[in-house]
Amino acid sequence: MEKTNFWNIFKVFFKIGAILLGGGYVIIPIMKQELVEKRNWLSDDEVFDYYSVSQCLPGIIAVNMSILVGYKLRKTKGMLASVFGMALSPFVSIVLVASFLSKIMNIPFIDCFLGGVNLSVIILIYLTLKEMWHKSIVDVFSSFWFVFILLLAIFKVNPAILIIISIVLGLIIQKIRGEKSV
Amino acid sequence: MYSTYFLLFFEFFKVGLFTFGGGYASLPFLYHICETYNWFSHQELTQLIAISGITPGPIGLNMATFAGFKTLGIIGAFISSVALIVPMMFITSQVFRLYKKFSENEYVKSVLYVLRPTSCALISSVAIKLFYNLVLFNKISINSIDFKSLFIVIVLFLSTFKLKRDPVIYMLIAGFLGVLLKFIK
Repeated sequence: MEKTNFWNIFKVFFKIGAILLGGGYVIIPIMKQELVEKRNWLSDDEVFDYYSVSQCLPGIIAVNMSILVGYKLRKTKGMLASVFGMALSPFVSIVLVASFLSKIMNIPFIDCFLGGVNLSVIILIYLTLKEMWHKSIVDVFSSFWFVFILLLAIFKVNPAILIIISIVLGLIIQKIRGEKSV
Repeated sequence: MYSTYFLLFFEFFKVGLFTFGGGYASLPFLYHICETYNWFSHQELTQLIAISGITPGPIGLNMATFAGFKTLGIIGAFISSVALIVPMMFITSQVFRLYKKFSENEYVKSVLYVLRPTSCALISSVAIKLFYNLVLFNKISINSIDFKSLFIVIVLFLSTFKLKRDPVIYMLIAGFLGVLLKFIK
């Protein structure tokens, strides 16, 4: 078993960040391969647990998963190693692509290609929604709430405000429910 | 000038703090930033979303880094990606310590019960916005409906019944269709 020091954790997550393409649930097979099968740092169950906890946390799922793994292995030091490892290759690749963007846009047909890729985002959002739907829209209230927020979002209400309202409402609901049961 | 650095940090700190549900869930915030400040145009944002999907790394992090680069160059890219990550490091590491209890806590469950439909609605609003901009009122198209774009969306939709959920496959198919349709008048 490879030692879990700062440098090793950094290296593994640098690799994960570099081979991860697309995002979301794709991280599960990659983490299983790198952390469970190759290094035995985690168990299969932990990878799935971390994924489900990360889905409930604010932020990017893949980044939250690396924070959980890093923190588990070496507390704050491990967390810093995993996060910076994970963020390094996206940073380098985006800076490179963005710097040469005008050159890249000169490649023949690249604008048509990117135009097509843009359209696929609609379908990717649809797939994300399909996966979230059965866990999210569970009763009359959640369907009503979905439509309500959708209308507000279409009329350009600040999304941060909508998230805060939802968190507060969730706390109030539980507060009332808690008092009733007492 | 300094205020732009600060604002950029502040805005992406908010993205890190309020995004629930993965990469695409940060899109409503990016649209909000785009409409509030003049850091990048709608067109640049759509371009940036497409490129972030086909570059290595989590898409949410890529989009934030790219948006930061568009705003203030390489320093901006650094500021936006750090700002995005900082709130996650604080919250997630704290949650880890309580992690077993966290997912069983009644308040957490209740908040997620309201937050999940909110995330769905926010992401849906982006899909509607994209559909409206790219398919229905594409400036390049003639009869206000861009039939080529509509065709690509329909092909992709039909292939969701056959293909696995790997985002890259859809991006590549759509990209190649985009190039192919260029040759058809």
